[in-house]
Amino acid sequence: MVGLREVSAFHHDVLPDGRPLTVQEREDILRPYLPRPPRTSSLAKAPASTARRTSTKPHRRKPMRDFLKNQLHVLVYTAIHTLFSIYVRLRRACHAIIDRVFAILYYHHRTPELIKKDVKGLSRLPQHLSVILDFNEDGHNGSGLEDLVNDVCEIAAWSASAGIPILSIYERTGVLKNYIPQTHRSIFRTFQAYFGRHKPTLSLRAPHLPSFSPPSSPSAGSTPGHLSILLLSADDGRNTLVDLTKTLAEMSQRGKISPADISPELIDAEISESVMGEPDLLILFGPDVELKGYPPWQIRLTEIFHVQDNTSVGYQVFLRALHRFAKAQMRLGR
Amino acid sequence: MSSAHLTQVRKWVFQSPPAEWAIQQLRELLIGALRLGPVPQHVAFVMDGNRRYARNHQIETVEGHNLGFEALARILEVCYKSGVKVVTIYAFSIENFKRSRYEVDALMDMAKVKLSQLAQHGDLLDRYGASIRILGQRELVKPDVLDAIDRAVALTSGNDRAILNVCFPYTSRDEITTAIRGTVADYSKPFKPALKRPFSETHITRNIRSRQLSIVSEEPLALRSTSDTASSVDADADDSASASTTPNPSSSTSVTNKNPFEDNSNPPDFEPSKSAVSNYPDPETITSETLSDHMSTAGTPPLDLLVRTSGVERLSDFMLWQCHQDTSIVFLECLWPEFDLWQFLPVLVEWQWQRKKALEREALSVKAQKRDVKLQ
Repeated sequence: MVGLREVSAFHHDVLPDGRPLTVQEREDILRPYLPRPPRTSSLAKAPASTARRTSTKPHRRKPMRDFLKNQLHVLVYTAIHTLFSIYVRLRRACHAIIDRVFAILYYHHRTPELIKKDVKGLSRLPQHLSVILDFNEDGHNGSGLEDLVNDVCEIAAWSASAGIPILSIYERTGVLKNYIPQTHRSIFRTFQAYFGRHKPTLSLRAPHLPSFSPPSSPSAGSTPGHLSILLLSADDGRNTLVDLTKTLAEMSQRGKISPADISPELIDAEISESVMGEPDLLILFGPDVELKGYPPWQIRLTEIFHVQDNTSVGYQVFLRALHRFAKAQMRLGR
Repeated sequence: MSSAHLTQVRKWVFQSPPAEWAIQQLRELLIGALRLGPVPQHVAFVMDGNRRYARNHQIETVEGHNLGFEALARILEVCYKSGVKVVTIYAFSIENFKRSRYEVDALMDMAKVKLSQLAQHGDLLDRYGASIRILGQRELVKPDVLDAIDRAVALTSGNDRAILNVCFPYTSRDEITTAIRGTVADYSKPFKPALKRPFSETHITRNIRSRQLSIVSEEPLALRSTSDTASSVDADADDSASASTTPNPSSSTSVTNKNPFEDNSNPPDFEPSKSAVSNYPDPETITSETLSDHMSTAGTPPLDLLVRTSGVERLSDFMLWQCHQDTSIVFLECLWPEFDLWQFLPVLVEWQWQRKKALEREALSVKAQKRDVKLQ
């Protein structure tokens, strides 16, 4: 920390009595806070800089002192990490308790009306919601896939109840893309459990695969809305951009376009048509924010939500994310 | 400048020389201790919250930006002392040009003043061994600011121990577009024609054919097909060379005996079966590494940690390509001018802890694999 007078002199480049600071005076202010010059560079530039570096002594080797310093550092390091382990375990326990309390308070009882009541007070809802899920491959014979499909059904039901029209689900390995009809059936059954007769219509698709929405007789009453679900995997991230580059390179080699024609708008149009548009809100159900290969282009202005130390897909995380989204301000650079 | 919060007495206590010395020693100790564990190689900061800080403390916005610059200097010192190799900061976004003209001009002036101050203290930068790089679209910046930038970059270009990437003015989508454009431009350059050697291939093949017409064998067919394709390709390249050298047929028999094999061993560098695009590099060889190498952060280690202050939980067009794989993204509530070692330390310790756990898990799985291999 620097003295107040020096701080204001440094800021405004003017000494308290009105004279402008010279280069030498500015260096004098900074000198006590700088690291010692490294040995190699001081040797290389010895003649030119000895005049300037009169205040710094050459670094004499003090092996005993270095050894003690090293041991002190090791001690402090182990102390910090031990304390941190204890702190993290306490934090996880606290968060687990709070999550359980929230889960009980905000249980949805599988009734869409309750969910709608929960979101009624929000000033705005995301039009396109995105979720990152983890596929637990180590689960014994297929239970990982079952859990994943369960999570997908639940999230789809909550989004449909809250009135969110588009939902995209990212899962790194893309295993769900091989089971689209089964997933559709499971979601349909979940909708029946939640909504009964007046289910919203559902369409499930993955990029570059045909859309799957079996013909269903429209109900005579009001149309409760439509939910379209998009399944994404790691291929839809970087690899889509690489494919686009390959296509553009071929077109350029044939002389159909020139490299100067490539603009962000062109790439944006191509990518949003081929994969998906920009999501408004991204919910992560893991303990940390790690994007795990999520498509990079679309996530530019997406609000990212996660709960620290959370490990499972729960309705209260979903609700808190929506509340957080309603409060967020979009300044767009201004 | 957390002293803005403190009352007068506390301020006096904390700024007295013994307290200052003690705090300085404590900082050195903590940073030295953390160096012993895994340290992120590449850290990115989004410096958000200057204006909110200025509003909260009833000072001018420009003063808020000045304090933000000081916070940046403090954090850079912490990072470089801990052993971070590359620090990337988000100084100015292309979207920020939409702000009021007064503020944009003030920011540009501040950049110019700080950079020219930097240029005057050359050897102070050398102590940290950091070289400055400016990423972003240079065309949108005024020429006098560009001059200051170029001078600062040239001054520090000799340092190689650490890198400071200043994103000014920068948008990640713009960076990705530039990388794609660069890759496409690279792949649109045709291969250069083969070097001109003094021997003309058409002359050689004519020689061989004339001599082998007398000797009946199957080889001329194979030779003729390859030499046909070779000659058709190198025709324009060697037309000028064919007239220059006319070696005596009798004396060059030994030479021509060797040359057909030489001819075949230097095949044309494309398949003749393809059409006109055949003398361009194959676009199928473009991978995500190619694109990464064309980004402005090419040559730097992958991004390990991204920190955003002021509680906003968005990426706002920063490092989208670099951070979407394994980067730990941390959102902090404090505002950027208050950001100091005490806020950054928990983030760093948590990152170290997670990295240590990941390394332990990997070591365990490697051991388990080795055990399985031994059992088999």
